[in-house]
Amino acid sequence: MTLSSSFKHNAFGWLLISPFALSLVLFFLYALLRTIAYSFTQYDLFNAPQWVGLRNYVDLFTDPLFFRALINTFAFSLIVTLVQTSLALLLAVALNAEIKAKGFFRTVYYVPSIMSSAAVTLIFVWVYQKNGFLNQLLSNVFSHQVILIAFTICFVTSQITLVIMGRKRHQNVKWADPFYALISLLVASSLTLFLTTSGLVEKQETEVIVSWLGTREVIGPLPLTLWAIVIQNIFTTVPTLMLLFLAGLQGISDDLYESATVDGANKWQQLWHITVPQLAPVTFVVITMGIIGTLQMFDQVALLGGGVPLESRITLAFYVYHYAFPDGTSPQIGVASAAALVLGAITLVLVFLQKKLGVKEQGNG
Amino acid sequence: MSLRHLLIITTLFFVSQIALAKKQVSIAGYGGNDVFAMKLLLEETLKEQLDAKNIDVSYFAIESDYPKYILNALSSGNAPDAFYVNTDVAQSWIKTGQLLPLPEILTTARSDMQPRVLDTFTHNGRLYAVPKDMNAIALVYNVDVFTDAGVDVPNNDDDWFDLKRKLQDVVDTLGDEGVTGLCISSDFNRFAPFALATGWQPFDQNGRTILDSHFKRAFSFYLSLHKDGLAVMPSDLGQNWGGGCLAIERTAIAIEGSWVAGYLRDKAPNLLFGSTLLPADPLSKQRGNLLFSAGWAVNKNAKDIEATLDVIELLTSVQAQSTILSSGLAIPSSLSLDTHPFFAADAPNNQLAKAIQLGTLVENTMTFSFGDYGNQWLDPIQIALSSVMLGQLSEAQAIAEAQAAYDAMYQRKGENQ
Repeated sequence: MTLSSSFKHNAFGWLLISPFALSLVLFFLYALLRTIAYSFTQYDLFNAPQWVGLRNYVDLFTDPLFFRALINTFAFSLIVTLVQTSLALLLAVALNAEIKAKGFFRTVYYVPSIMSSAAVTLIFVWVYQKNGFLNQLLSNVFSHQVILIAFTICFVTSQITLVIMGRKRHQNVKWADPFYALISLLVASSLTLFLTTSGLVEKQETEVIVSWLGTREVIGPLPLTLWAIVIQNIFTTVPTLMLLFLAGLQGISDDLYESATVDGANKWQQLWHITVPQLAPVTFVVITMGIIGTLQMFDQVALLGGGVPLESRITLAFYVYHYAFPDGTSPQIGVASAAALVLGAITLVLVFLQKKLGVKEQGNG
Repeated sequence: MSLRHLLIITTLFFVSQIALAKKQVSIAGYGGNDVFAMKLLLEETLKEQLDAKNIDVSYFAIESDYPKYILNALSSGNAPDAFYVNTDVAQSWIKTGQLLPLPEILTTARSDMQPRVLDTFTHNGRLYAVPKDMNAIALVYNVDVFTDAGVDVPNNDDDWFDLKRKLQDVVDTLGDEGVTGLCISSDFNRFAPFALATGWQPFDQNGRTILDSHFKRAFSFYLSLHKDGLAVMPSDLGQNWGGGCLAIERTAIAIEGSWVAGYLRDKAPNLLFGSTLLPADPLSKQRGNLLFSAGWAVNKNAKDIEATLDVIELLTSVQAQSTILSSGLAIPSSLSLDTHPFFAADAPNNQLAKAIQLGTLVENTMTFSFGDYGNQWLDPIQIALSSVMLGQLSEAQAIAEAQAAYDAMYQRKGENQ
């Protein structure tokens, strides 16, 4: 290859990546450098920035709200990433199986992902209202809890009896045998109907009034309000991640499953020893995207509105916004920039740790 | 025609077109009723004067997040020539240096406006915005509910306990039909008139907030309405504010400003409502209220400052405010309109306007403005109210936590200065 052709080759490559490189320099590198500079100043968007050294960082690490935001963000990220990755994998495996109307189910499960975050948040605000869907559902469940317990006892008793009787006649009857389960369902339903109509078991009116959003209650590592957002966030992100896993599943050779079946491995063993390791590259992407996405959680928190106490919903990304656009007072761009850089550093460190210690990019298959 | 003649004619035509071209002024405010109000002013009431001054005004309605929109527009140099500024953001916007100090002539011409509101728009002795309207909180009641219950409607002589007694009578009679006294929320705006009536000062002379015994008395009374079963939270009735509860005819009263009139007109056109002053504190014998206002401010970098000032002068003139008052869209900021015939009429909208106008003149008023603290100042009180209403804290615990939050806020402010 002559010098001229090498130059042409390189120039062509540069030409191809130039739009992306240019936008990266303009909107990322330049913005990053400005943010770093602002983080050492007091700046309100209008008057000239004043150098304050490390004061914004000192303020940040002495602000109890920042620590609340930090804890909320870490806990939110850990919980959502774990749950959404597991659920997405299980859903993908289920929808990859040979089931009827597979296309229909894949479409239905993907629908939450194509809805806008704003629309989903509004729906969930309605679900979480004091007299909303969730409290009504829980009220119904608790009102019928005695009946549900009676049904469960009848079902379990019937199933155990049928399996024990079946094992006396045949071998290898499983505890969850579907045919016996169907009979148990009919038996339990009939018995429960009899118990309720005869008045032996009665519905007890119970009203569940949980304030899901407008509360400062903390459950475990997170405020109750953020638990509500955990559910909402998982609902919206699982479908996209499920699609990634589904794509990954197409690449696993059927030969592996056939060999495992011949060797006597059951479905769970196949999932754990073949599917999960083979999907490692996809899982790496899913977890990395999950960590980045959850650490930057903002829109769903912001859309919950001012009715919710700040400490019950604040995340690091919202903390940045809270200081960049405080309500009724001047912007504090310096503090917001410092917080944004801390958030960026935390994201980088966590992704690095996940790469080094967590799921590896390379599968072992 | 020679080439020279053609050149002269073309030049003259060009110059005359420039001279005749209208001066363009862009102004921005809220959406909703304000769009109708501005259309009325610009296309009817002030049309002749604007044409005479050769000014063409474009109104941009900002439907949501108005303060953030203006702040971003100002920082990026894209702000309109004039725009609304609310009392709560006035001082912080003035400090950005982007608002034009208004000339003495306009300041003098508008000196008949409510002094407290003018103070909020003033910095270092210079006025930066002319109040275009005023608002305060009134007690709005459902006439039919009181008639059906056989209870006298609230009036201007009531104190807190008179009102509570009347609500108790309504609930005793109509409670089985799902009617309750009122919807209360943790919103400071609805609680403030009670707290201010006691003589409580939100800021002492050092700018510090002390939740003293006056405050505690108001806090206790306000929450007793909920505790004693005379009030519910709006969400209990599937609503998100007191006006919504009144519109579905499930409450006897609502504590709202003039904004409730438009809502009731749309959502409950057959509801017969009356309005009166909020009750007085039985101990201090005084009333309290909050003053709200939006003023017209001029962008320091407006394209044509002279034309923009002309527009502001016209939009805040007695003629303009009189038109808006007559159409029931807002209460004027000009005190010279206090004797306007609109206030004397007895229709529901007129009664509400009168109650609000009187509300702006009661003993203990405060403009909706929290200085350097911004609206974050509202949080501790609002959290305290909601914590008690949700049964999460006792009154004493809630007030103690709110006081701690104010102390921390004050300390932080001191450190930043």
